[in-house]
Amino acid sequence: MADIDKKDTGAKGGVSRREFITGVGGVGVGAVLGGALLKGILLPEDVLAIPASEGYLLVDTKKCAGCQTCMLTCSLVHYGRENTTLSRIQITQNPFANFPEDIVQAQCRQCPYPSCVDACPTGAMHADPATGVRMVDESKCIGCERCVNACPFTPSRVQWNAEDKHAQKCDLCKETPYWNTDGGADGKQACVELCPMKAISFTRSIPTQTDAGYDVNLRNEHYGHLGLPTD
Amino acid sequence: MATGGYVGKILYVNLTTGDMEEIPTADYEEWGGGHGMGSALFFDRVKDKTIDGYHPDNLVTMMTSPLSGTLVPSASGRTECNFIGIQQVPVGWYTRSNFGGRFAGELKFAGWDGIAIQGKSETPVWLNIVNGTVTIEDASGLWGLDTYETQEEIWSIVSGGNADDGTWYGLSTGRDGGRTTQRPAVATIGPAGEHLNRNACVLHDAGNAAGQGGLGGVLGSKNLKAVSVIGTGSIAIADPAALVDARMELQAAHGYDVDAPALEGPVPNFAFYGIIEGHPGFGPLILNVDQPARAQGCMGCFKNCRRRLSNGISNEDQCVESLWWVSGTSQLETNKATDLLDKAGLNVYDLINGHSYLNSLYQMGILGPGKAIESNLPWEKYGTYEFIEQFVDAIVNQTDIGADLADGVSRAAIKWGRWDEDTSSGLLNRPQWGYQQHYEPRLEVEWSYGSLFGDRDINEHGINWHVHWHATVTGMIGQAPLISAEDMVNLIAEGTGVGDPMGWNYSPDGIYTEAKAKAIAWHRHYTRFWKQSIGYCDWAWPMFINYNNRDGDFTGMSPGFEPRFFNAVTGKNITWQDGLELGRKIWNLDRAIWVLQGRHRDLEVYTNYVYDTPTEAPDALPMYLDGEWKYDPGLGRSLDREKFEGFKTTFYTVEGWDTATGWPTRATLDELGLGKVADELAAADKLGA
Repeated sequence: MADIDKKDTGAKGGVSRREFITGVGGVGVGAVLGGALLKGILLPEDVLAIPASEGYLLVDTKKCAGCQTCMLTCSLVHYGRENTTLSRIQITQNPFANFPEDIVQAQCRQCPYPSCVDACPTGAMHADPATGVRMVDESKCIGCERCVNACPFTPSRVQWNAEDKHAQKCDLCKETPYWNTDGGADGKQACVELCPMKAISFTRSIPTQTDAGYDVNLRNEHYGHLGLPTD
Repeated sequence: MATGGYVGKILYVNLTTGDMEEIPTADYEEWGGGHGMGSALFFDRVKDKTIDGYHPDNLVTMMTSPLSGTLVPSASGRTECNFIGIQQVPVGWYTRSNFGGRFAGELKFAGWDGIAIQGKSETPVWLNIVNGTVTIEDASGLWGLDTYETQEEIWSIVSGGNADDGTWYGLSTGRDGGRTTQRPAVATIGPAGEHLNRNACVLHDAGNAAGQGGLGGVLGSKNLKAVSVIGTGSIAIADPAALVDARMELQAAHGYDVDAPALEGPVPNFAFYGIIEGHPGFGPLILNVDQPARAQGCMGCFKNCRRRLSNGISNEDQCVESLWWVSGTSQLETNKATDLLDKAGLNVYDLINGHSYLNSLYQMGILGPGKAIESNLPWEKYGTYEFIEQFVDAIVNQTDIGADLADGVSRAAIKWGRWDEDTSSGLLNRPQWGYQQHYEPRLEVEWSYGSLFGDRDINEHGINWHVHWHATVTGMIGQAPLISAEDMVNLIAEGTGVGDPMGWNYSPDGIYTEAKAKAIAWHRHYTRFWKQSIGYCDWAWPMFINYNNRDGDFTGMSPGFEPRFFNAVTGKNITWQDGLELGRKIWNLDRAIWVLQGRHRDLEVYTNYVYDTPTEAPDALPMYLDGEWKYDPGLGRSLDREKFEGFKTTFYTVEGWDTATGWPTRATLDELGLGKVADELAAADKLGA
């Protein structure tokens, strides 16, 4: 398994990856997300130490029904037990609020410049060498929670698993021992498969995104047939 | 013993003493969960079952099931409440009501399979459950707030204001104390419950309510404003992969595919068609989508019936909530009127025809300023939002006519001396126990018989979706039924396991047969276990007919999936039939409690209009007429007193009850393992012969 911190150590000259990320940290969440916002930023090849993820979850914020099926699924396929706190995707909602501000979906963005990976002192938080998916090697996690705090999003897309005592984050279902389906960036994702609204999709391309989230519309004419908005 | 699903303990709280107790769930596991566990707890802990619902010893159970908080579709979110009711007439029967949302899941995550509340606090309190820590909190600052305000206040208190930000917050100090992003799940009463209104409900989030029976007034009498719960623990699952596989299979085979539906409503934005194809957001039925909105569902749901709207008014409300003030001049006013009830914590169903009944009395010159029934509400503005706002306010605050209506429309009619006349003419169409007519009692008898032999309007749609609604909804848009009456009843008969399609024959003779009695008994047993004890949602289960199938037939997800999910979660190995037998046991336990309360064959009669006036509206039910099955409107039908008395004898025989009294016999109770229940009936001299 590749060790990101060793790569950092070996980077030659110029701006180290860690320094680069620190440098953009004040620019805003969008700056670490890549995609359209980063098109104008040139990087020396030798400092791009973390490969891009080969997969991303997209959530249509207006299509989600807040049923938490994704959360129950995530916990179940990874741990074999139900606990929304153990879900790597978090859905928060205010039942009294106006649509579409009533529900917020919080899934890992698989940031091109992942603060969580950068913050990890042991290499537990790393990019999967095969797919680039940002993952946790639980055996190396020392529980310092730097990754949890480093995530620029609210709520943090990296969570502390208080039952098993390690950090966790979305691995696109690469390690799902309780699912009879191959997961990961080169497989399927349980939340995508089971969302009854088909409000979550998987893409291999870095999606267009802003601080506010992805610009995702998964609603077609059949959705509109129900009187629900497609714009 | 289960290896999954249950989290191990039930919380008992005595509000009189402040004492709490952890009851091992294993002591009651044989009852499944939900209603069964609640009734067993009630039987053990309420020594005098004849007490009034307002009595401090009345035990309120709020129970989950092994499926709560799990991936089992449309079964994860229900909380079943049992208690002695205050709504019914002439007796406030031991009763039930449940509500959806996420309360049950959070309760399980907090480590509790249920809550049992007894006693009465001297001052207003609320119950604060944070994982294993339970505290009785002062509610003086919440008393008087509406249900929405109360929840917002408690969210802020419990989360330290963090829940509003959507961030992770800790439930105790330290790294491993458990964190969540979720708002606490709060079930609360509103001002109506505080004022002991007999139709007060308990509300959770925006639109989940336990309405029937008057639970809000019962909690109000205990000075209990709300129960809040938040948890961060896990629920063990016996066979996680099997659970995921079953969910995927069910959803693919029987779910509504929002991107490529197998069956799409012929008319755009026609909510009613959701009764047939189950599309997301169809719940408000008569109200089509009039603004940007989303579908919204309870925890773990695969249907997501409800809506949240861009103006936020009437979020999550559906079904009868959406229908109760359709005489408003706009959909906005209809929605605003619904929120009036939600915030006050009032059950809609006593008022849905209650206000029109009262308006009839006004039009007849019986009610109004200076009339026999004095009321100075603006009846001349009936139909406007201005009127309904004042009407609800009067009921909540017990002013004007609301002083009587706080006891329910039925009790008010009795007080005014109108009950006998108006229930004989049908002006007040309340067939049993003072409940508003829901479906036609002279025709759709699985509903009316089930309600009369039980404790309340059953509100169980698993059969009704098909026999009542299918031909009705297709008829609304000039579409031929998608399934023939014969195929419909055959699928139901096969799926239930009853076998004889005549059980679902609604012809003039068919409603009095032994086949009908067996079908009614099946319905009572199914719902008592699979629906009310295991938590399968009424709006999804059972499903004997599915119109979304892609393989051309109509086979539904029942009876296969109920036990399949249950076994995957619990590690047990029960069958559909095992569940029905447990349902029979629970039904008989409930029946015994009603008998102790005074139930007798002589009381199980409808009000006169059911027998003496004919039906006037078509109701296209499957009937076997002249040697063939057809959908027939059943116009001009009334219930025959003599034949119905004969049917009662048949039904009691099917159930193993004394035909003279309707009381369970010792043989029946012993067969079900309810010997101690038989002993208590015998001690009260109420054991069937």
